[in-house]
Amino acid sequence: MRDRPVFVRAATGILVLVVVAVAASPWIAPSSPAEQDLAARLLPPGSAHWLGTDHLGRDTLSRLLDGGRFSLVIASLATLLTGVIGTGIGVLSARRRGWLDEVLTRTNDVLLALPEMVVALFLVAVLGPGFLSLVLALTVTGWTPFARLARALAYDVSARGFVESARVLGCSTTFIVFRHILPHLAGPLLGQAALRFGQFLITVGALSYLGLGVQPPQSDWGSMLAAAQPYAARAPVGILAPGLVVFTVALCVTFLGQRLARMSSTRMVLNPASSGAVADA
Amino acid sequence: MMLFLARRAATLGVTVLLASFLVFLIPYVTPGDPVRKIIRSRVAGEVIDDSVLQGLTAQLGLQDPLVVQYLRWLGRLAGGDMGLSYASRTPVVEQVVPALVVTLSLVVLTLGTAAAVSVVLGIVAALQEGRPADRVITTVTQAFIAMPEYWLAPLLVLVFALNLSLLPSAGWEGPASAVLPVTVLALRPISYFTSAVREGMLDALGAEHVVAARARGLSHFHTVRKHVIPNGLLPLTTLVAVWFAGLLGGSVIVEVVFAIPGMGRLLYDAVLNSDIPLAQGGVVVVVGLAVVLTTAADLIHGLLNPRIRGHHA
Repeated sequence: MRDRPVFVRAATGILVLVVVAVAASPWIAPSSPAEQDLAARLLPPGSAHWLGTDHLGRDTLSRLLDGGRFSLVIASLATLLTGVIGTGIGVLSARRRGWLDEVLTRTNDVLLALPEMVVALFLVAVLGPGFLSLVLALTVTGWTPFARLARALAYDVSARGFVESARVLGCSTTFIVFRHILPHLAGPLLGQAALRFGQFLITVGALSYLGLGVQPPQSDWGSMLAAAQPYAARAPVGILAPGLVVFTVALCVTFLGQRLARMSSTRMVLNPASSGAVADA
Repeated sequence: MMLFLARRAATLGVTVLLASFLVFLIPYVTPGDPVRKIIRSRVAGEVIDDSVLQGLTAQLGLQDPLVVQYLRWLGRLAGGDMGLSYASRTPVVEQVVPALVVTLSLVVLTLGTAAAVSVVLGIVAALQEGRPADRVITTVTQAFIAMPEYWLAPLLVLVFALNLSLLPSAGWEGPASAVLPVTVLALRPISYFTSAVREGMLDALGAEHVVAARARGLSHFHTVRKHVIPNGLLPLTTLVAVWFAGLLGGSVIVEVVFAIPGMGRLLYDAVLNSDIPLAQGGVVVVVGLAVVLTTAADLIHGLLNPRIRGHHA
């Protein structure tokens, strides 16, 4: 039931809708996200303001559309960076083996033991809050799951017949990695990337909620939620809306990621040459 | 097994040393004069003039090479001396220890709740595989992964504390104040635990000795209780240890929302106030404990499952 195409289409549709709406926010937002109207503070949803207004009389829907840019861009950037770095390190470990593999795997273990949130707090404390510290904070520990997965999969694929054949035929390692190994890793790694994107989105919101992410006058979904919290009893939509968006986007992405991972792992399981890839993932 | 243990111990030592060195460097990499910062963390007086500063620099050995200073710092740390907090001018240890006790109780409560709920949900889902009960449990618990704590926590406060006045909205006094934070914090572990229990149970249900027990004519109930559940729950042990480590530093949001005086709150305050000694002490304790717990999880995994010892290169 969870795998019905209907659900996949719904999740994809919601994601596309959110991304397009956020990207087009300067043109489609009902009003400017920074425009204050102190006479119209904490309004409930209505015809003038579809999602009501915040404690400074700013239109919640416009702020939601505008704030999404920061959250989505940081989460995408972190996913891309960690994905590329992690895959590179994982494949390198699996191909070179020996001491390099040992060192990289131990580094991975070490980073995996550090609580993500503490590392992020630490880095933000050292570098100061902002766009770059956030991306860095997510990347420093974030590449490890990709490296684990890529290493396990690359080990399995390297043992298969076509890789050995390619080697016997005199193909270079670079050619084998890009032509034969990486294409086999694409499915599971994309699934992992989707899952990680969801988690990054939540973490970015968490840091902004704590005031360590995006700084005023800019805002994102996490900082909107934090700003609306003191007025939650009078205007519950202020905390309901941004959280619901984060939850929905993270849920859709996680769902698609799990499906992707499952689809590609069934193929791996059906193949007798692959052994521990799924368990290690 | 000895090699496995030695490898783990070495990783543990290196991790703790590496983390402690990074923490030691904080005063040097943050803006401002490192000497003044270090003196502020070691000398109780508030105002220090330049002549005193020079005397203190020599006395505290701040002109020595960085490595020497690091070893000295490490020695003091081992003796439980983490310096003075900038904000409160009291020893950092006196703040870290009570905060750690609070966070440990929060984490133990959370993981206990999560494990109990997940064992029930996971067993039901596995025994009902593919039926509506399984689908509902699997779908709902998987959705928990996507739940932002900073959304759920204010919503629960709004409903149960402000509107219904059933539970306190903040603080850490008595069982009632633990209900909401533990609920929020338990959702994500429940998600992972339930799926692990379900998978473990399904594996165990298909195992040969279970089929053999069935063939011998043992009842379904007896087979499940004696042969399936003990094996099916094995994966949970490691997972709980790993989550223990993760939650020690991962409860920041919940502690801030509910004003719980634990480690997360302490680290957050330290960062906001640029209270370097407090941040150093907190990070060292959290990372040290997390590393020890992760290693413990590996060891448990190795003890319970001899197959991985050799191959885990």
